Amino acid sequence: MASIPQRQFGNSGTSISILGLGGHHLGDAADVKTAHEIVHRAIDGGVTFFDNCWEYHRGKSEVWLGSALQGRRDKVFLMTKVCTHGRDQDLAMRMLEESLNRLQTDHLDLWQIHGVAFDNDAALFIRPNGAAEALTKAKQQGKVRFVGFTGHKDPKIHLSFLNCGFPFDSVQMPLNPFDATFRSFQKQVVPEAQKRGMAILGMKPLQGAGIAIQKGVFTAEELLRYAMSLPVTTCITGMEKPDIVEQNLRIAQNFTPLSDAEMEALGERTRQYADGRFEPYKVSLKYDNPEARLAHDFPIDTGQKEVKEMLREVENTGKPFPSDK
Amino acid sequence: MATRRDFLQSAALVGTLMAQKLSSIPKRPLGKSGLEVSILGVGGFHVGSARSLEEATSIVQGALDAGLNFFDNAWEYHDGKSEEWLGAALGSRRNEAVLMTKVCTHGRDKKVAMQMLEQSLRRLRTDHLDVWQIHEVVYDNDPELIFRTGGAAEALLEAKQQGKVRLIGFTGHKDPAIHLKMLSHGFPFDTVQMPLNPFDATFRSFQHLVLPEARKQGISVLGMKSLGGSGEMIVQGGITVKEALHYAMSLPVATTISGMDSMEVLKQNLQIVAQFEKLSGAQMAAIEKRCQGEAGDGHLELFKTTVKYDGKVGRQQHEYPTAEELPV
Repeated sequence: MASIPQRQFGNSGTSISILGLGGHHLGDAADVKTAHEIVHRAIDGGVTFFDNCWEYHRGKSEVWLGSALQGRRDKVFLMTKVCTHGRDQDLAMRMLEESLNRLQTDHLDLWQIHGVAFDNDAALFIRPNGAAEALTKAKQQGKVRFVGFTGHKDPKIHLSFLNCGFPFDSVQMPLNPFDATFRSFQKQVVPEAQKRGMAILGMKPLQGAGIAIQKGVFTAEELLRYAMSLPVTTCITGMEKPDIVEQNLRIAQNFTPLSDAEMEALGERTRQYADGRFEPYKVSLKYDNPEARLAHDFPIDTGQKEVKEMLREVENTGKPFPSDK
Repeated sequence: MATRRDFLQSAALVGTLMAQKLSSIPKRPLGKSGLEVSILGVGGFHVGSARSLEEATSIVQGALDAGLNFFDNAWEYHDGKSEEWLGAALGSRRNEAVLMTKVCTHGRDKKVAMQMLEQSLRRLRTDHLDVWQIHEVVYDNDPELIFRTGGAAEALLEAKQQGKVRLIGFTGHKDPAIHLKMLSHGFPFDTVQMPLNPFDATFRSFQHLVLPEARKQGISVLGMKSLGGSGEMIVQGGITVKEALHYAMSLPVATTISGMDSMEVLKQNLQIVAQFEKLSGAQMAAIEKRCQGEAGDGHLELFKTTVKYDGKVGRQQHEYPTAEELPV
């Protein structure tokens, strides 16, 4: 069995692979058989960290991962996220039960607050009866081992969560060379998380959709090596096709950290794009989930893929996850 | 569909109202220029949203008759139509107006800015502007691009030296941090424009972060987005137009620019201005408090939180996807 370097999850004594498999793209796989192939091949290649989320593809991502992990649950460090977006702890606990059912397990290794994106999210999280109380309760009940939060919008919002007084074990954020020069999580949030001894989960190493690769600014290998060379516990990236899994396994299995000079040279290449054009998740609503927008009274866009999925869900198609074609 | 007679009738009606109120619209000094501007300014985008040139002319002439003298515009509004209609509507009354337009380099150089100035002057049928501002400073690297050697800041100075513009400034609706970066260069701005409303007081606040700095530097402040950009604060935010405009006009600003795309809206706003008395600190705090719950995530200030109010030209210059390619 091939191996990928592992790093310690915070101060926990548990280690995870420096490459993590993103849950959203798993739901983009051609079919459930392909999704299983992706998960099994990743595990065989040394990936132990699996990301997911209650709201990805209206549950499809969790269901497909759950069935793929049958017989392999104990080989992985399993994360999913809760999508209260400011709403209360009862809703969070109901979402936890749904996630456990879909993932066919009795516990999560990590449960995170999903998509913190609005300036008042930390205040809504920590209020009496807010989602913070659900994280504590779930941990006490032994349903989750660790708790954390994630978001892709603004370092200031992450800092408001870090400073709200809740004992998080982990924090997830976009980390890539473009981030180094624009509203930088790397510069503003990583040092704070390190100070607190938290596990740092990097995401969006390819900026969500690989636009910069298509435009020839970087190669996938440069971007993945950059993201894994940062002081992170793991780098989560989406792989919706088996050949992407093979490419990423090869990069992670042969990983050696970039030197400071190499990191700086990659960062320098992004300087002329310091307006966020390659980080749409920071500057537009394109990567915000409709669930979050609804909870916050923001308008939703009926043309967006996730909204179409949401609308189709209420139609009686006779299929659990109607296709958007 | 309104007829020509409707316009004339409502124009006459507003005319009567104005004749009475002419002296009652307060004016405030615009910087150290000696110019005085009415506390309500006519937004240029909405001039181009009127149903016809005829209607736009009624609005502009009606506003002048009523004692409004500040006219906003921008090179890119409705691809030039707003400037053309305002120029035609002002006609021989150009000298009664304090006329502003904005330049839309969005990071491009001085040469582009000077070309746009000539186009704006032609469309507005005048040989000089009273105020010329850099439009829509909303991207994090805009200040850097504007102040680079050969950047748009140099065009502002050159146009002033040539006597083509009297006052210079900038505007943007996105983030107080970007405004502060612009104000950190020690550049002799005369004016700065920003969103000011009771929701802004709680969320990414121009009022708390930028307004004091502008005052410290002796720069005149032009308020905008007093109703949320498209009336969102009225429709969903639980405040009235009168409260919102009186709140904005009670701040230490020279004028509050508001879009008026019909005679009905002009008439409504004129009545509100006629009733204006500066709100006390306690009255303003009470309005802010009512708005606080809805303000915290910016869902009623979409110009700060989404790309909805970011213009096409700026997006192209920064290689952002178009509005059609991005959700809401």
